[in-house]
Amino acid sequence: MGAPMRIVFCGVGALGSHTAVLCRNLDATFVFIDFDRVESKNLLAQAYVKQSVGKNKAEALKAQLLNFHGVKAEAFGVRLTKDNVAQLCAGAGLLVDCFDNAASRRLLSDHARLSGVPLLHAALSGDGTFGLIRWDERFSADPEDHSGQATCEGGEHLPLLGLLDGALARTIQDFVKGGVRRDSMVGLAAVTPTS
Amino acid sequence: MATLNITYNGLSADYPLELDAQVSDADLRRIAVEVIRAGNVPGLNLQHLPDNAFDGFVVDRLQNGQRIYLRPKVPFGA
Repeated sequence: MGAPMRIVFCGVGALGSHTAVLCRNLDATFVFIDFDRVESKNLLAQAYVKQSVGKNKAEALKAQLLNFHGVKAEAFGVRLTKDNVAQLCAGAGLLVDCFDNAASRRLLSDHARLSGVPLLHAALSGDGTFGLIRWDERFSADPEDHSGQATCEGGEHLPLLGLLDGALARTIQDFVKGGVRRDSMVGLAAVTPTS
Repeated sequence: MATLNITYNGLSADYPLELDAQVSDADLRRIAVEVIRAGNVPGLNLQHLPDNAFDGFVVDRLQNGQRIYLRPKVPFGA
């Protein structure tokens, strides 16, 4: 039996934080990368609890997983750049892109294609009606309308996020257990496999 | 015969599409508006869909162009 797969979550906001919690039963080593800090407004849409406000998101998620579920993880509270991507993603068996901007998604894609590490992307629309789960070989990043564009700060998209996070966790589970690479589209009424 | 999958307002539906030549993304957006208005897309019955309903939507061509997805832009995550 080999070592547990190292799963690197890039971005642990509304998508990454909930999905990581839903993956906690997997025999894997979890790594979280996010430079951002937990704000009180994030409590309505992300997996963070009140005691985590003010802390770095990667560190906060690591602490919550350990304290609430007894699951150990690693955390890097830094911004992913072309200078540190190879170091932060070293040893990964799976990269999970939950970033909120096209530039970071492209940076991760470039690294994955160069290193040969499987990369799974997850993304949602600004109006919270649609989400996409797609492996890197069929993915291209959609640009924001403007830099720093925000979404779901009041938790109004939680129903869609719940479907998307659950489908993403299942996709990760299927890959870890059997190497299956499934794409999906997630709407308000259904999760539809597309490959 | 290709299949055009249209996602609008959280709902998705397939529409079989005969493509004689290379159809542009703009053409596909116009076709989508027309077939939905005409009631030809089961599950998407919007007779008064505006002309610009799919402005800013993304066209994905997968499986050698046999599966075409017209969907909202998805820039968000964390």
